[in-house]
This record gives sequence, C-alpha cells and structure tokens, in this order.
Amino acid sequence: MTAASADLTVNGRRASFTALPDDERLLDTLRWRLGLKGTKEGCRTGDCGACTVLVDGRSTLSCLTLTREVEDAAITTIDLGAGDREVDRVRAAFAAAGALQCGYCTPGFVIALAGLLKERGRSLSLDEILDSLQGNLCRCTGYAAIARAAALAREAAP
Amino acid sequence: MSAATRSDLAVKLAGGAIYGTDLDLPGMRWAALVPSPVAHGRVRSVDLAPARRLPGVVAIGAEDLPSLLPGSGDADRPIFPTREVLYRNQPLAAVAASTLPEARRAAAAVRVDIEPLPAVIDLESVFPDWPGAEADRSPHVIAHVHARHGEIEAAFRSADRVVEETYRTASVHQVALEPHACVASVTGDRWYVRTSTQTPFGIREDVASLLGVPEERVVVDGTWVGGGFGGKGSSLLEPFALLLSRAADRPVRLALDYRQEFELGRTTLPAVIRLATAVRGARIVGRRVRLLLDVGSSLPGRDFATGYSIGFLLGPYRTDAFEVEGYGVRTNKPPFGPHRAPFAPQCAFAVESHLAEVARSVGVDPDAFRADHLWHEGDSTALGQRVGPFGLPSALEQARATAARWRAERPPGRGVGIGMGFWSTGTGAGGEVRLVLTPTELRIVQGEREIGSGSVLRGLVVVAERALGIPSDRVRVEYLSTAEAPYDSGVFGSRTVGALGRAILEASASLGATLAERLGEAGPVRLELTGGELIAVARSVRRPVRELLSPGELSVGLVANGRHFADPRKIDDSRVVTGSFYPYTDFTGAAHVAEVSVDRETGAVRVERYAAFHDAGAVVDPGTARASVEGGIAMGLGIALTEEALWSDDGRFLNAHLLDYRIPTLGEVPVPDVTFVEGFPGAGPFGAKGLGEPPIIPVPAAIAAAIRDASGAHVTELPISAERVARALKLL
Ligand code: FES
Ligand code: FES
Repeated sequence: MTAASADLTVNGRRASFTALPDDERLLDTLRWRLGLKGTKEGCRTGDCGACTVLVDGRSTLSCLTLTREVEDAAITTIDLGAGDREVDRVRAAFAAAGALQCGYCTPGFVIALAGLLKERGRSLSLDEILDSLQGNLCRCTGYAAIARAAALAREAAP
Repeated sequence: MSAATRSDLAVKLAGGAIYGTDLDLPGMRWAALVPSPVAHGRVRSVDLAPARRLPGVVAIGAEDLPSLLPGSGDADRPIFPTREVLYRNQPLAAVAASTLPEARRAAAAVRVDIEPLPAVIDLESVFPDWPGAEADRSPHVIAHVHARHGEIEAAFRSADRVVEETYRTASVHQVALEPHACVASVTGDRWYVRTSTQTPFGIREDVASLLGVPEERVVVDGTWVGGGFGGKGSSLLEPFALLLSRAADRPVRLALDYRQEFELGRTTLPAVIRLATAVRGARIVGRRVRLLLDVGSSLPGRDFATGYSIGFLLGPYRTDAFEVEGYGVRTNKPPFGPHRAPFAPQCAFAVESHLAEVARSVGVDPDAFRADHLWHEGDSTALGQRVGPFGLPSALEQARATAARWRAERPPGRGVGIGMGFWSTGTGAGGEVRLVLTPTELRIVQGEREIGSGSVLRGLVVVAERALGIPSDRVRVEYLSTAEAPYDSGVFGSRTVGALGRAILEASASLGATLAERLGEAGPVRLELTGGELIAVARSVRRPVRELLSPGELSVGLVANGRHFADPRKIDDSRVVTGSFYPYTDFTGAAHVAEVSVDRETGAVRVERYAAFHDAGAVVDPGTARASVEGGIAMGLGIALTEEALWSDDGRFLNAHLLDYRIPTLGEVPVPDVTFVEGFPGAGPFGAKGLGEPPIIPVPAAIAAAIRDASGAHVTELPISAERVARALKLL
C-alpha cells in the first residue's frame, strides 16, 4: 500500500499528514489521526449510519469513504462545536425531544438531519425527512423521539 | 418532568461522550484475537512463532499463562482452550502490535492445528424425539429443571379437551450499536481495565477469578455505554486485553469489529417449547410445559437460563395443576447470553399464542379467556408464591377497550391483537451508594455507568430529588472506578431504580436525619435552593447547609451511605422435583395492542398502530419511563418479525452483518401510545417497579395475535417472517 502526504479540511481547520495510506478510511483518519471521536464507529460496512459526516454539506458515510477522495472537500463532523446554525438547530431539537438514550447513534442522526436541512430546508416534508433517515439505525429509542426531534428541527429550519 | 432534562444531552450532542470504542491510552498497542476455525475440535497445536517473528508483535497463548499470571485462575474456565475447542471463533491466542492492521496480520500468521470433531449445532438434532430418562446422562444436558403441583394426570384425564402445540424460537443478538471494546494497562500488580460495561463490579469479579488475581488488585473503570441490553453484562474481551498488556508491558486496546460482535457475542439461542393445556368447559384445569433451551457452550453449573426462563412459561396465569420440565442443552455455539428480558418475550409469544388457540378450540374469545385466568393480587404462582400488587388485569382491561375501538375502525385486511407479559424487578446481589452534600449540591457517588436507559442518571437522581426535595439540577451523579466506588452488582434485570434506588432512599434518610438533628427540629428535611445555595428546611426552621456543616465537612462534604441487598424470597420447594427455579420480588406486567396489515401475496407484515399499557408500580420519571417503553417495543418488533441469527451446520454465524441480521429501521416502527396503569406499588422507592425489560416482553405475542386476526395465519415460530406467514397461509 502506498502512502503519500495528504491535506484535509475538517470543521474549518486544515490538517496535513506526511504519509497517509491510500486505503485509509475517512472514519479512521478522523478518529485516530485527528482524535475527533465524536463520529462513531458501528458496522464499518455502510449499514448503520453511526459514522455519518458532511462532505461539502452532503451527508456521507465516513466508513465507506477513502480519505484520499475527499482531500479537496470541506468536512463537517459532530465535533465542530457551536456555531453551525443547522447543526445547532438539530441539536436543540434533539435535546427538546429527548431523542437519545445511549447516544451512540446520535452524532450520525444529528449530522444526517443537519445535512438534509442544509440542502433542502423546509421544502422537505417530514415524511421525506424520515424516509431519508432510514439508513441510520438506533437500537435504544424505537425512533419515536427521533421522529419528534426531526419534526421540531424541520419547523425551526428556514 | 421530561426526558429532556437528562444530564447527558449536552455531552452526547456535542460528540464529547467517550465510549468503549473511543478509548485509547498513551503508547498503547492494538490487539487481535486468533479465532478457532472449527466449531468443535481437539487442539493439537497453536504455533505463535510466525506471529512473533513479525516486528513489534507480542503474542500469547495457553502456554504463556503461567508466566503471566500470579495465581492459577479458574481451571474450569481456561482463558485459552488447551484440549477442546467448543465453538467457532473461540479465541485460541491473542496478539498485540503497533497498529490494528499489523495485529490482524499477526493473528492470521499464527499456525493453528486442530483436529475437527463432530459439531452439534442444531438443538433438535441432539434429541430428535423429546428427551426421556436418558437425558440426565447425556453429555449435552447441563441443566435439568422439573416441577409439578396438583393432580396433573387426573386433570388431563378428565379434561373435555387437550390442546397440544410446539413453538420454536430463534437466536437473537442484542445489537447494541457499539461493539465491545476496552483498553487495559497492567502496571506492577495493578490490573487496570477500562471498558464499556453494565457491570463494572461483575467484570472485576470475573476477571479476578479467571486470571487468579486477587479482586482488590483488579480495577475496572467504565465509559459511556453504547447500548447494553444484556450483552455487556459479563467479561468478554477484558481478560485478553489485560494479559496482553502484562505481556507487552504496555497499554493494550482490544475491540471487536461488527462481524466479530455478532460471532463472539453471547446471544439468546434457539429453543423448542411444548405446551399442553387441559380444559374443562371454559376453564384451564391443567398445564404441561416443556422447554428445550440451547445454551451453546455454557459450562456445566453455569447455566442460569433454563430455570430462569421456564418461569415465564407458567405465568401470569392461575394453574391448579401443572407439570413443567426443561433442559439446558449444550451445542457448539458461543455460550448463551442474556438479551433484554432474557427469553421472556419468546416465552410470552408461545404462552399467549397457545392460550388463544385453546380459547378458540372451546369457542371462547381469546382475550376474555386470558382475562379469566390471569393472576390477580393474592393468587398463588405455580411455584407457590403469593402474587403482590399486580396491574396486569387493569392493563388488559384498558388494552381490550383500545383493541375494540381499533377493530371497529380498522380498514379491511388489517388485524388487531393483544399480547401480555409479566416480569419481576431484579435485585442482583445488591448495592451501596454514597451521598455527599455540599453547600451547593448533592453528589451521588457510585460505580455504575449510564447504559442509555436513563436508570442511573435520571432514575437515581429522581429518587434523591424526591426523598430530599432537592431540585434535580442540584443533584450530580459521580461515576467512579471499582477502586473507589461503593459496590453494586450491576445495571441489569430492571433493578437500578428498584434496588439501587432503595440504597439512595436509605442514604437520603440518614442525611435528612443528620440535618434535622443539626436544625434542632424533628424531620422531614427538604433542601431548597436560594441564590445558588442549598437551604435545609424542617417545618419552620430554615438554615443554609453551609452553616450546618463542620469545617471538615465544608471541604469534603457531609457523607451519608445507603445500601440495599436482596431480601431473600422463597418458592414452595415441595413443588420442585429438581433444578433451580427463581423466586419473584414483585409482579409487574404489560398488555400491548398491535394493529398490522398482512400482504396476502407475500405474507409481509406491516405494523400500523401500537399501544402499550404498563404496570410500572409508581412511575418515578415519566419521560424516561415512556422512552423505555418506546425503545422496548422496537426491539420486540425485531424479535417478532425479522431478527434471527442463522448458524450453519459447521457453526458459522451466517448473517453476521447488519444488512442480513435485520433490526427495525425508522420506517418500520410506529409511534406507540403509552399508558401507565398506577395503583399497584412495587418494592422500589415510592412503589416503583422495574421498567427496563418489561416493554419488550409482550411484543412478539401481540404481533402474532394481530397477524392471526388479520389473516388467519397461526405462526408458531419466531421470527414471524413473511415466508413463515406465507407458508401458514399456504401461499408457498
Ligand atoms: S459505521 Fe459507517 S455505516 Fe456503520
Ligand atoms: S440512542 Fe442508543 S442507538 Fe440510538
């Protein structure tokens, strides 16, 4: 496996690596090179959504993404702190709806929902939103509270 | 009060919560396990030399244990098998290296030589006919339980009708989204492990006995837990990580990927349930219940599941005469593990479906028939315990009213059904807490971690809040390692509020008494907040806590301890022929109503509406209580409709992948109506009963009843897949 230098922009910050293996997944770069552990590792096969991040504003499974492929993109993760309006709105909706238990699925849901609202805002119906979240699994909540949070976040969206 | 006041919202929504999978320690090595390639075999050799030749690799196998361990460990439970391999992927050795890929390469380099032996995978191949007297001599039987009461033979002889059925249930995995993971660091004689667990003290005890290290030298620290559901209730990776750390003289991280999570996880395994019911008129006069439970490679003497499960096949119905017999049968799969309300949903599915068939066979409405036989307070259980306050009859009454309404409103092609289940709040061995009062806050110092249900960070807080009248944002839970925390037996069995909550009550009472004495006023004492300061109030006397504490207490806080250890309960031993059965502490239950549509061509089932009526005693926190029910229903739908671990004849977990082992997704779970029936207090604080597990129990039964109502399909096997429905409807 070859490894060359690489640059990445995550949450507005630029990071450089001198030797990054070509087959390294974005999930691992975020978690183990940058220490951004907010993005969760579940299945690593694209089936749970726990690893969802935004790549140029679009919801993306970081476990199926090679870091090399997104060198020129802007990556947003749950670790970004406050200040992103959409992410903050979704967080507030999750808090108001109590839409988490163990919280392991939460970063993936928050980022996926924020991505949807960034892209389409209130033009999406609640059903369309819930439909788009089908790829995110939650074992604890039974999704009821998450659906309530999605409704609140949609109402708050521009 | 809503779930929105959970104190973990901020950290979890910011991505700042550290789970087991997130752990690292400075200078740590990454570890991998060497799995057995066969399900059953004799170990000829495990050659670590090829792995050790790789740069930076540390490898350990059975031969290295004497030099790594201070004591001799548990001879019955070897860390690595030296003679016989009992299940596929059983760890034969472990390796550590500087990166995970290097560790995996090293694990693959280990040369394993095992002579394959015939493997027993399918439970029913062990006893093609039902086990008879020879079973007790079978090497496959590790548990035999048998109880009887009343004139059972006469009951069956004199019956108008006897209905006999066989039910089969599948192996289900907990599927906590976070796979198992831990880090270990052994320095000197301190064996430190940080892990995602429901039972820090259970892990300490387990690790100590497996490794032969004195308990006080083992330190277990927890993390946020990304879902437990029973799967994180005993040690799995910790002993390997600790041994590798000792061998490498460095911290070591060991984590499973999701495939391994399926393959190595301790799942609830398949079972066969035979039920025979004798009726006279519309009355049950006798019941025979038999259970064959696959316990995987559980070791003799370590099976809790058989005797525990079988109780769920007898209740919650009055039974004058009964006979119950069960066998725990060993197969070459990983050991049986608990899954939220271990085996109770499967039992409820069989019992509820069966009694509905019995009712139909005598021309009685199934819901009325069950209502007529249901336990009421004061009744006796099959094993002779008196039923305490029990809200299930009321829950059923409300469920029947809802079902009647839904039946009247339903569109064509839909069916409505009711399922019930009962439970008893767990106690575990017991536990202790320490309360620490400062002038501005109350700390609950304890050793459990929040597994997600809210039972620790809401449940315990609400108990303290109510006992001392203190605002809940002034109560903080402190999570300590086993080295510093008071002992508790773990977050399982729906016991946290019911058992550990009672320790909080006791500590609160002692704190209140101290404050009352210092106020010079007879209790009860309340703690109010004024300008950021806590004020102790007893009747008309009010003084800031600050003025009631001694100088020493001002620096470390005023400390009060509380403990609660299980009260022994008894079953009527004269009814037990052999084996262990488990007594109940209290009686809780739920009635669920499901409305489903069934596709008449494919047999596919869609859940359209759902309502749950729960007796949780006194509900201590409505928001978390509701959340527990919502989540339990979703998990129950998985058991009912889609979840099934498939094992090949050679012991492979065939669908060890979230795409093929299907848990419910967002579009498949309706938002349920949740109602609590109150007025049936349990033994917990303020009359609380456990609510972690009950919500999952009635679900498969309710779904099966609704499918029966919608389509006429009577499916006797879990999960009720489209294919099984189609078969029952003779579409296939
Ligand atoms: S970890 Fe990426 S989808 Fe599951
Ligand atoms: S909150 Fe636990 S998986 Fe969603």
